[in-house]
Amino acid sequence: MSAAQAPSSTSPAVRLEELSDSDFEEEIIGTAMSDHLEYLHRVAPPLRDLLETDTSKAQDETLEAILPFLEGNPNEFDLNSHHLPKLQRKKHVAFLEKTLGNYPAQMAPMDAARPWFLYWSLQGLTALGEDVSKYQERVIYTFAAAQHPMGGYGGGHGQLPHLAATYAAVLSLVIVGGAEAYDSINRKAMWHYLGNMKQADGGFTMSPGGEEDIRGAFCAMVILSLLDLPLELPPDAPSRAHGHTSFMDNLGGWVSRCQNYEGGISAAPGNEAHGAYAFCGLGCLSIMGSPTETLNKYLDMPLLIHWLSSRQCAPEGGFSGRTNKLVDGCYSHWIGSCWALVEAASGKTGLWNRSALGRYILAAAQFKKGGLVDKPGKRPDAYHSCYNLAGLSATQRVYTFDEAMNGNVGKGHLGAPYHWEEKGLYEEDKAWDEGDLVDRVHPVFIVPWGKAEECRSHFEGKGVV
Amino acid sequence: MPILYGANPTWADVTPVPQEDGGPHPLAAIAYAEEYSEAMGYLRAVMAANEYSQRVLGLTEHIISLNPAHYTVWLYRAKVLDQIGANLADEISWLNPTALQHLKNYQIWHHRQTIIDKLGSPEGEGPFISTMLEQDSKNYHVWSYRQWLVKRFDLFDEAELAWTESMIEADARNNSAWNHRWFLVVGRKGGQALEESIVDREIQYAKAAIRKAPQNQSPWNYLGGVVRRAQLPASSLKDFVLEFADLDEPDKVFSSHALDLLADIYTQDEDKKDEARKALDLLAVKYDPIRAHYWNYRKGLLDSSPAAQQIA
Ligand SMILES: [Zn+2]
Repeated sequence: MSAAQAPSSTSPAVRLEELSDSDFEEEIIGTAMSDHLEYLHRVAPPLRDLLETDTSKAQDETLEAILPFLEGNPNEFDLNSHHLPKLQRKKHVAFLEKTLGNYPAQMAPMDAARPWFLYWSLQGLTALGEDVSKYQERVIYTFAAAQHPMGGYGGGHGQLPHLAATYAAVLSLVIVGGAEAYDSINRKAMWHYLGNMKQADGGFTMSPGGEEDIRGAFCAMVILSLLDLPLELPPDAPSRAHGHTSFMDNLGGWVSRCQNYEGGISAAPGNEAHGAYAFCGLGCLSIMGSPTETLNKYLDMPLLIHWLSSRQCAPEGGFSGRTNKLVDGCYSHWIGSCWALVEAASGKTGLWNRSALGRYILAAAQFKKGGLVDKPGKRPDAYHSCYNLAGLSATQRVYTFDEAMNGNVGKGHLGAPYHWEEKGLYEEDKAWDEGDLVDRVHPVFIVPWGKAEECRSHFEGKGVV
Repeated sequence: MPILYGANPTWADVTPVPQEDGGPHPLAAIAYAEEYSEAMGYLRAVMAANEYSQRVLGLTEHIISLNPAHYTVWLYRAKVLDQIGANLADEISWLNPTALQHLKNYQIWHHRQTIIDKLGSPEGEGPFISTMLEQDSKNYHVWSYRQWLVKRFDLFDEAELAWTESMIEADARNNSAWNHRWFLVVGRKGGQALEESIVDREIQYAKAAIRKAPQNQSPWNYLGGVVRRAQLPASSLKDFVLEFADLDEPDKVFSSHALDLLADIYTQDEDKKDEARKALDLLAVKYDPIRAHYWNYRKGLLDSSPAAQQIA
């Protein structure tokens, strides 16, 4: 065999090797640095193929850009006791307050995505420990203008309802909370709108006449559950013509068909396995029932775990979204948050490298002036800030599912997600200090701890009036 | 301030519906340019009146040029095209440059799908997709669209397979291309059994790709998938796997994926649990240490029921 050999002399992997093997490194860069080099050396993959393709070139360039951030501290952040940059809390708060604010005219292309900017910013702020109740009134009336008379939310006034916008709107209202926020949602119209999205094959479209993918299935389940809407399809739902009577009809089977030969989950049957869609699929199943029951019933779990685990990039520590793609901070959540659900279903913990992801987020995903990024060299945005922080929370906290489903909230249908418990912090090989702690996040809904329960309990037993 | 529409007599019969923000300080508010704001006011008005006309088609084109990520405009445009019986071939020609500028846009691809579906012909779509993939060879929307096209027009043929091979040839690490191959060869079969000759061909194809770059996970995943789908035992790959990872030569492992599969082969053999453990240890300690937690988890499963252990 000669195809796989030592890396060529120009590769970042070799640079790593040379740096960390040299005896004089301590004199030059000090002990703090050598800790990192020792770590990076330990997790760097020793095997590398000679065959060069566009993918390997992109991979090399990416690692070249990231390594300085893993080896050192080019942003000159204050360091924690593990010699990693501290969570730049104040800077991120300032950044997210800005993304919640006003935008200039050239930002018109985000007109249809405004609900997302509210959700990402609000969720990110609460993850950083901020109280967002001061935004309650403004959140309510911003979404009042975006609510469609036929049910659901659009990106803004006069826009057609869309499940992504509706998902972001409902979660934002859940985050600020309060009866006024909850009751601003037209539940009856919402029920009809969701009924309209249900398709003959069991899945959901995102909008009337729009695309059908697994985001639709997840968003629909999130909304049905949080608002405690009836599982029965409304009388005018088109899929009744195909024999459906419930939102759940053929849904588990449809999600099951999205798991592909690699073990991951795709947007729709036949497509490539992808991190964001994997979380949507697992989230959907974890609302339909207890993860122990639904994940094991509808998915090949060993294969799924194998694929999820393969997403962790070495030596970067962060996750990629697909096989042979690059590390990206948003998958800190899309993949990172899958683990709590998978661990609940498998009954085993400690399946993944929390510490490596935490290192990637703190060292490589924090932007110098605030906000978090895909990878060094990219600009920060609300999306990558929210999902890096959710991922950081996933590295720090342990959640378990209460199979007995005790507690007063979530007794009825789609009540499973109200039975998660927090089992404290993950301490083993941690790379963070107390000051780097991100707040608790609901493992399925990705909203602050307790907020989903408050909303559900507000609607429980109310029926659709 | 009337700019394009307010001063135009052909729009005199329409009263624009101004943007409603819900309150004095809406969040994530955009200071819309007058041009955009005015056009959206007219769009809201014609949508409320369910107007489907040539002038509305022009209006949607105008708004799309200002904001191509506006799903409402795309969905309404599709409806207008349908209602006025517009020439759909013209629509595709108009769409091409727009799509090239906005590769990651969901709406454009869905719109294209709607139009091509109605046109009833995939003519010209192959070359167009190739142009798109030249810019971004792993674009998820483009590949998903191609799969829809293949299914819609029953293009599961030799030409499509040859094109897919050329994509894998260009970059054997393009996992989207591998997934497309699976879609063509295995996906079309639904639940039906695969012919033995096809199974052999696919196994040989994946093996050849692995020999060129043993650390490339795409063909390993493909190979494992085919073997599972054909209900062959993982042990049928043992000789091949040993070319890249042999426990007798633990310092000469050429592929962590081979070691992974070897661990799985040993796991399924009651008498080889120690070998499985050794392979997983090598992965955890030496060949894939970032995933040490996972390899140790697999090791923990060795003592539990056989059903929980299989990967490939
Ligand atoms: Zn990203």
